[in-house]
Amino acid sequence: MSQVSGNDRLPLWRNWRPWFSLWLAGSAILLALLLWDAWPWLRGTPQATFRHTKLNQWPIEGLWWLLAPVALWLQKNLTMVDRRWPWTVALHGLMAVTITGIFTLLAALRMAVANHLPMSFLPALVNDLRWMGGWSYTPALIYLLLVFALYALSFYQEWRAGQRLTNELKVANAQLETRLVRASLDALKMQLHPHFLFNTLNSITGLIRKERTREAEDVVAGLGELLRRSLEHRQEAMETLEEGLVFLRRYFDIECLRFQDRLKVECDIEPKCLRALVPSLMLQPLVENAMKHGISKDPAARLLRIGAMRDGSRLLLSVYNDGPPLPKDDLTLNQGIGLQNTIIRLRMLYGDEARLQLRDQPPHGVRAEIILPFSTNFPTS
Amino acid sequence: MTPTPRAHWWTSLALLLPGGLLALVFFGPQEGLPVVPRPPADANVLRIAHVQYLLPDPHRQTAPVSAHNHFILSLWEPLVECDPATGRPQPAAAASWAWSEDRKVLTMKLRPDARWSNGDPVTAHDFVRGWLQLLQGDLEDAQVLFPLKNAEAYHRGELKDFRAVGMRAIDDFTLRLELSQIRSAFVAELADPLLSPFHPSNAKVMADKSYFRDPGALITNGPFRLADASQDGFSLQACGFYHDRADVRLAGVRFVRVGNLSIAPLLLAAGVVDIVSPMPYEESRTLPTNRPVKLAHELILGVSTIDINVTRGPLSDVRVRQALALALHRQENTAKFSPGRMVPAWSWIPSMPGRRGLKLLKEDADEARRLLAAAGFPGGKGFPVLTMSLPMWAEMDPYPAAWTEDWFRELGVRTHMTYEQPALQRKLMKDQEDYDVAYGAVMATVPDAGDLLSAFLWPVQVSKTKWVNPDVVSLLNRANSQTGNERLATLEQAERLIMAAVPTVPVMFTRRQNLLAGEVQGWYEDPLARQSLKRLWLVSAEQTAPGPESRQ
Repeated sequence: MSQVSGNDRLPLWRNWRPWFSLWLAGSAILLALLLWDAWPWLRGTPQATFRHTKLNQWPIEGLWWLLAPVALWLQKNLTMVDRRWPWTVALHGLMAVTITGIFTLLAALRMAVANHLPMSFLPALVNDLRWMGGWSYTPALIYLLLVFALYALSFYQEWRAGQRLTNELKVANAQLETRLVRASLDALKMQLHPHFLFNTLNSITGLIRKERTREAEDVVAGLGELLRRSLEHRQEAMETLEEGLVFLRRYFDIECLRFQDRLKVECDIEPKCLRALVPSLMLQPLVENAMKHGISKDPAARLLRIGAMRDGSRLLLSVYNDGPPLPKDDLTLNQGIGLQNTIIRLRMLYGDEARLQLRDQPPHGVRAEIILPFSTNFPTS
Repeated sequence: MTPTPRAHWWTSLALLLPGGLLALVFFGPQEGLPVVPRPPADANVLRIAHVQYLLPDPHRQTAPVSAHNHFILSLWEPLVECDPATGRPQPAAAASWAWSEDRKVLTMKLRPDARWSNGDPVTAHDFVRGWLQLLQGDLEDAQVLFPLKNAEAYHRGELKDFRAVGMRAIDDFTLRLELSQIRSAFVAELADPLLSPFHPSNAKVMADKSYFRDPGALITNGPFRLADASQDGFSLQACGFYHDRADVRLAGVRFVRVGNLSIAPLLLAAGVVDIVSPMPYEESRTLPTNRPVKLAHELILGVSTIDINVTRGPLSDVRVRQALALALHRQENTAKFSPGRMVPAWSWIPSMPGRRGLKLLKEDADEARRLLAAAGFPGGKGFPVLTMSLPMWAEMDPYPAAWTEDWFRELGVRTHMTYEQPALQRKLMKDQEDYDVAYGAVMATVPDAGDLLSAFLWPVQVSKTKWVNPDVVSLLNRANSQTGNERLATLEQAERLIMAAVPTVPVMFTRRQNLLAGEVQGWYEDPLARQSLKRLWLVSAEQTAPGPESRQ
């Protein structure tokens, strides 16, 4: 299988090679024609004069054929050098002056040869041309117009590319928003899950019967807060880790009531990580997963530990439970809709810079870990 | 922080290399450059720069005239030539001449020793042949022969029989010329290069331009013969058969064609040419070498004028015309617009060899105002707006506006200028006569003061001034039958009468400038640029030293 270079992938008209070949062929033909025409003079034939060769008679503007590729190449290079306009303007000004000088020099050279003037008089002739009005500034004007046109084209192409990128970003943002909504709905669904809801309501009923009305009120208020925040999360794509933990604390308040003294929640959070930005409801599916497949499955399991630490430019979030190990076929990660959604959101937000790992933690338990770039600044829109 | 991007080294090189080379050329040495030494083969060869395409055909004139005249008069010799000091005709191909009693028939005796460049004798038949060729051509140049009886009718095809034209070869060395009317300056007119003889073999050589391949095939009767011809110019050698061969001091002349006249001074400075004639007047730069050069000026035999239509209202009053003539600031305007090239005209005829120009007019604004007031227009009050008719080419000429500004500033006289195509302008002026003043110029074709004054012999119908003075006509007719100083005195009387009446206001004369290498000797002033190169010679560069008129 042959390799394909970048140039070959371009459309034919945007590939410089055919154009350069065309220019080269044209130059060769031009040169051959000029040499053929001037051959008698070059050979020193008595009646032949430089004055009557095409080298002398053809309009000097023909030099543009030779200069155009150089001007284009330089324009491209100068444009790449620096986009700060004073520097660019100065360089293009220098080029315009140089090209004008080349034209003037060529005119003077032709005049010197045609009139048998020694070459040592070239500086005097060039300056005399100024007196004679022989300094044409048209080449400078043409060059600057050419550069202006090329810049205009370049800016137009960039604008078009920007438009395309904006459209792609809009699509990506829409997809991201969809994922966020789905995450919110997942959280809400989890809260409204009959098992969770019935257990919570039973717990509230038990508290009322035991005349622990104060605690019952707290649980009802916590459940209401949990549902409210789930709905609120649909509005924001990012939240601070601290905000995420507040949400989880409500959740754990209710779950502790349900699991009585069996559930022990530990938080190992570095203080500097509390202001770190994380995707909204990012930890919720991991915690839910730990409760559902860990703590609930093994009566002996009781510990759920949430961790957050900074490792250079990265933020490490972890959710550990001391429940049973992962199933052999690792279906949990592949099939859990919540986890799948989390993985996709991480990829859309951070690309290859974020990842989610779920693995056994010998001798007991399972550890879910999210690694993502550490940031405390909300991205600009 | 964004790092400052840097140009690749080859980009910098691509910019700096040509830029550096250009700087070397543009700021290279421009003074004290070495003069190209004269090649040994050119030791005694005069080299003249010319711009126009020269033809070695004496019957086809090319402009500007300087180089053409020098070229033709080197190869060909008319019957007479003008004396450098007095401007009067002296023998050339003719040995002598004689007028008939009624001064209408001129008998020219040719030199028996005159020879063509191939050794054939130059005969009267050769002159008749050449002049016939000129008359049979459709060139305006044929009018140089119109003074001859029936010549104009023959040229226009109204007369078929050439024998009726007033020129006849009586024998090999006698030419009889019959004029239609008395014309005392006619002998001087025969110095025109157009009136050269023609060798029978030249017709074919001219037609197929075989002189490029075989220069010797062109048979000429001048002091030089064609030695080489190319698109870059012509080389001439002193002709061994020329009757005054012993007096020709140059070994040859080379006419070097240059791209444009502006580069010619540089070629002279470099030592490539020895004469630039005429030299562009805008030329006032320092030459890049120390080669001694000198400027030679000569007034062209012509005059720029403001013609006054004396039939129009207040312009019929001579005091008004005099006021208009006195109010013009000739010195200020010529110094402002074309210093050196144009000089103020104080009379109708410029200075020329053998005759100094008169100072018959002056600048006097106070006197001009007094005259205008005396005519009934104090401060220009009540004076009508003058209509000035101008040819279209004068649109870029700053002088008409300057003259009318002078009239307004000094006299309060306003002018309305109308520009027309030259042909239409002439027609409108002739048919409608709807103009007060007209701007124009008169050029002489003969080195004779009477030629310029002959404009006042024109009939009223074709005269732009509509002014005719019987006394002037009488004087000019009398001068036509006179010669020498007597004639000059009569012409002066006529000129004084004309300038007193001021039917036309002479404003400027044109000065031609020639740039000569220090080695060139013997150059003389000629108002028609007909210097004969056989009179010049070269000295070695060591013998030349910058003189008072030298220019470095």
